[in-house]
Amino acid sequence: MAAIHCLVVTPEQTVLDMTAKFIAVPMYDGEMGIGENHAPTIGRLGYGVMRIESETRSQVLYVDGGFVQINNNEVTILTGRAIPPEEIDVAQAEAQLVEATKSIAPSAELAELKARQIEQARNQVRIGKKAAK
Amino acid sequence: MANPRTLDKRRKSVRNIKKITRTMELIATARFKQAMDRASEATAFTQRITQLVKDLTATELEFEHPLLTKRESKKKAVLLVLTANRGLCGGYNGNICRAAFPRLKQLQNEYDEVELRISGKKGISIFRVQRRLTADKTYLQFEDKPKFEDVEPVAIDLLESFQAHEIDRMDVAYMKFVSSSRQEPMLETLLPLSGLEGLDDEDDNKPVNAPGSLYEFVPSAESILQEVVPMSFKVKLFKCFLDAAVCEQIARMVAMKAATENANDLIKYLSREFNRARQSRITNEIMEIIGGVEALASS
Repeated sequence: MAAIHCLVVTPEQTVLDMTAKFIAVPMYDGEMGIGENHAPTIGRLGYGVMRIESETRSQVLYVDGGFVQINNNEVTILTGRAIPPEEIDVAQAEAQLVEATKSIAPSAELAELKARQIEQARNQVRIGKKAAK
Repeated sequence: MANPRTLDKRRKSVRNIKKITRTMELIATARFKQAMDRASEATAFTQRITQLVKDLTATELEFEHPLLTKRESKKKAVLLVLTANRGLCGGYNGNICRAAFPRLKQLQNEYDEVELRISGKKGISIFRVQRRLTADKTYLQFEDKPKFEDVEPVAIDLLESFQAHEIDRMDVAYMKFVSSSRQEPMLETLLPLSGLEGLDDEDDNKPVNAPGSLYEFVPSAESILQEVVPMSFKVKLFKCFLDAAVCEQIARMVAMKAATENANDLIKYLSREFNRARQSRITNEIMEIIGGVEALASS
């Protein structure tokens, strides 16, 4: 039986600690599926939804960037925020999107920051709306 | 001789105060436990991120990040002072501010401009009264349970202005939690970061044949480290807030315990005085009656 130990940690608390048979995490460039005996990996997460599927239940969480570390069938997800998609504040995300789009970015560092904020807001809006349906 | 009635009145009021301080002590104890739990939950994250940095640095890559390099320019510095919103916690607020004053002075000497940010009502009033300073920015929303969501905007704001070269240094003054019987005011420079945890203690427990490139990095080790640095800054700042919350509750607990004990002593003393005064009044009255009786008998 496939068993992966999955741990989702935020600075505030350990959100999730369970055994799963399959995990899908949103990487910076798209989704990555993790099955049993995955190669040891450290990766950067994007803003999106992660799915954890075990024998009995499957769970969905929105993660706000961060990292994933896979080693020896242990998956650790470090993120600033991990909440159910229904709890995303769509109005706030939309406001952020508008503000980020308007802001000017004269230097490369700021441009990167702006792009990231736009991406974060867009994903939040998309996932939040989808969950609300 | 003291009036027994006024003594009794005082004793009653001391009793009432004792009830209040005792309750506050109990509340502070409960809150301290909660805050402590939260702080220990947070260490899970710190440990993991330290582990991650360790695994990353096992590949021996050269690494530089704008947040880690010291700046030559000395335009503007930010000093963030974390105090409590409420008083009645002994020397907690005073100690932090006393530790922050010299640093503020030093920053003012070194940098062209210093921005003072204070969190907590008490710190604001201490700075106003003792140094006639008003904070450039104040935060009142942090109570005894600071949330990461609340701290993150502050951190992002600071990060952005640092990256935009608006500020060149950021210090934070807070009460550091050493153990439940020891806390000390602490001044830390968070921007530029002094170093990543896990980077410093590399050679402590390096495995003999380090599994150097055991990990696959997506997209690359450098890019992940780029991400880790801001994250670890946010977490560090959050940890400061958590420590401050824990220490506030401890300080309040200790202060209220002392106040309750003091009230107990006072009650004891007042009771003794009250009994003495009552006794001497009774004696006096008896003397008067006896005196009267004797005067009647002899006449």
